[in-house]
Amino acid sequence: MKNYPIWKSFTVLSIVLLGIIFAIPSIIYDENSENWFLKNKINLGLDLQGGSYLLLEVQLDVLYKEELDNFADSIRLISRDKAAKIEQIVIKENDVIVTFADINKIKDIRDSFFQMYRGVSFQINNNKLNIKLNDDYKKIIQDSAIKQSLEIVRKRIDESGTKEPLIQRSGKKRILLQLPGVKDPERIKDLLGKTAKLTFHIVDDENASAINNNLAPFGKMILLDIYDEDIKYLLNKRAVVGGENLVDAKGSFDQTEGHAVSFRFDTEGAQKFGKVTTNNIGKRMAVVLDGVVITAPRISSAITGGSGIITGNFNAQEASDLAVLLRAGALPAPLEIVEERSVGAGLGADSIAAGQIAAIIGMVLVCIFMILIYGTFGALANVSLIVNLFIIISLLGTIGATLTLPGIAGIVLTIGMAVDANVLIFERIKEESLKQTKVFQIVKNGFDRAMSTILDANITTLIAAVLLFAFGSGPIRGFSITLSLGVIASMFTALMLTNFLLYMYLSISNKKELKL
Amino acid sequence: MFGLNKIIPVEPNINFLGLRKNFLIFSILAILVSIGLLSIKGLNLGIDFKGGTLIEVSTKNTSIGELREILSSSYGDVSLQEFGNENIILIRLQNKSNQESIETVNSVKSLIQDKVIEFRRSEFVGPTISSELLFRGFQAVSFALIAILIYIWLRFEWQFGFGAVVALTHDVLFTLGLLSILNVEFSLATIAAILTIAGYSINDTVVIFDRVRENLRKYKKLELVDLFNLSVNNTLSRTIMTSLTTLLALVSLFIFGGEVIRPFALTMIIGVIIGTYSSVFIAVPTLLIFKFRPQDEDD
Repeated sequence: MKNYPIWKSFTVLSIVLLGIIFAIPSIIYDENSENWFLKNKINLGLDLQGGSYLLLEVQLDVLYKEELDNFADSIRLISRDKAAKIEQIVIKENDVIVTFADINKIKDIRDSFFQMYRGVSFQINNNKLNIKLNDDYKKIIQDSAIKQSLEIVRKRIDESGTKEPLIQRSGKKRILLQLPGVKDPERIKDLLGKTAKLTFHIVDDENASAINNNLAPFGKMILLDIYDEDIKYLLNKRAVVGGENLVDAKGSFDQTEGHAVSFRFDTEGAQKFGKVTTNNIGKRMAVVLDGVVITAPRISSAITGGSGIITGNFNAQEASDLAVLLRAGALPAPLEIVEERSVGAGLGADSIAAGQIAAIIGMVLVCIFMILIYGTFGALANVSLIVNLFIIISLLGTIGATLTLPGIAGIVLTIGMAVDANVLIFERIKEESLKQTKVFQIVKNGFDRAMSTILDANITTLIAAVLLFAFGSGPIRGFSITLSLGVIASMFTALMLTNFLLYMYLSISNKKELKL
Repeated sequence: MFGLNKIIPVEPNINFLGLRKNFLIFSILAILVSIGLLSIKGLNLGIDFKGGTLIEVSTKNTSIGELREILSSSYGDVSLQEFGNENIILIRLQNKSNQESIETVNSVKSLIQDKVIEFRRSEFVGPTISSELLFRGFQAVSFALIAILIYIWLRFEWQFGFGAVVALTHDVLFTLGLLSILNVEFSLATIAAILTIAGYSINDTVVIFDRVRENLRKYKKLELVDLFNLSVNNTLSRTIMTSLTTLLALVSLFIFGGEVIRPFALTMIIGVIIGTYSSVFIAVPTLLIFKFRPQDEDD
């Protein structure tokens, strides 16, 4: 081989070999392989293997509203302790405005309030105290709500038996879920759609007029029955004990009541529960889930063991799902599904098959075309093209990239565009062959001249691909990945491999002249 | 060697620049019509940008008419469409609030449960998301144009950057106009296609510009028009060859790649043709606005 450095041939051949070897795991594609080598295969995106993508938004407004209500309640309590009369409390979007009867105690009340809620802004205007939910305070609420929500969503998904879910924060107030292989996204959506805030409250059965007037006195609230909206309960606003004190919950079957959820409290919960049931024998205890009463049995004896069951008209699935929710804990705020994309396994398999056929046919067409146009040189370029495909596949596998349907489109497109660099080189060689006769010099000049053009042309394509990655989402990113890898691999195969093959061919065939 | 490449002469001598006025008028008209179409008819926005619900089902022993009947009694705004073959049907519903839409999916599914073999796909894009996606898509295309402009500016003189961006803008608008006429669904994948077209078209333009730059150094006495013509001719066989191989791959994708990818492949095919055309007939003639000589040669 004339003037072809050994180190260069060695590098080229090693890269080609590695490219082919590391494409093997993706080509064999053994889904459950634990083998260290076969594990380096391409991940299929949800659109190819089937599964659900969900984007959830934490309903922060609900939390802000709750916090403002808390402000108002606390102000009422403080004012009562300090014997200050409140004329009016108005809750607005971001403020609570309290109007006091007299001006004297405002500062005192404000200071006590500030002890409880640091970071809140105040403004005093004569006898009006304006408490403001400022942006910093909101951000604290937001961050902790997202963190908690993430944790609870994770627990719920794990409990539901989904394999390899991806759960991550997305932007300021969203949670992104990818659930490969999920066949029934409806059940997952049901699991995520509930806040699952469980609390136990003593029922006040002595104040029938409050229910009739639909007006709860201070410290009480009126809630509806889950099964019958005509049944209302007047409850103590303060919960005896809540879901955060649960240590376990599971679906169970009760001889008289049917399907039920049995639960167990932690020590603190058991003590509270024992104390309240001891003191309130004869009254009713309401079990409240997400603001509606599931059941309100009468306390017949003190329950000190720290465990119990919740009954309702559950079926087996509902009981076990409720148990899942209770075990995982309550979400700080409701989650709303803002985007869903679910693909069945059938469509995914169809897409893979169609993509493969398109890639193979595209490849064959391009190869035939190259041979028709450039003859032997074209055949050499085809070798580069095939190696190029192997390298893309092996890169996708080793970096653990996800292949999506647009990703397959990117590969097919790359097949068409990858020969560009070869074409540029061949055209230059063609021009050079008119100027001189030394075969190796022609080839060398052809490559040198084409080099800067190839770089410029490919870098601009890379720019577009990188921006696609930066701004795109999900499947589109898959496209930009395969396109970028394709561009990079095609530069290597054209500038190194085709170059190597040409030198090999020319030295072996010992051609004295070159006519393209 | 037996290559067929001799069909295209090694040094073709076609007077491309001589035709520039005709093509300029054609392109200006095409752009005006495109802008008109985009503002009057608009694009056939898919679920990604319009929001809403989409369910793809494979059916048995039923017809699209029967399904339509079942669904339209509950939903006035439902639209059904065969997708690829008569047993695969796409059901689309307009956007409602997030909560309502999720419930809609469930109830649609239960209404047609016994007519369906498989729910192949269900998608829901809420109103806030669809407008965000549209904004981000717009952002991506704009940034790509700016980034490419900057790159060309750094690698060449700024005049080339200007020519390239004129050609790119032309490609994007022209392609969008054709998408509007052909009523091709405009989705996230279309944005990807348009960005790729931008990349492809600039690729083509850069190859010719490279040659222009080279020839500017080589032939100091040649008239600019002749020099540009020469450069286009020098690179002509490459331009044709690469466009053809790319189109071969894309046509294969269009025919065999499946129903979901078809709008993407079609957009790319349109874009590659327009991009190739614009590199020769828009990008290069734009350079004539600038006087590369004698100032350029003096320094």
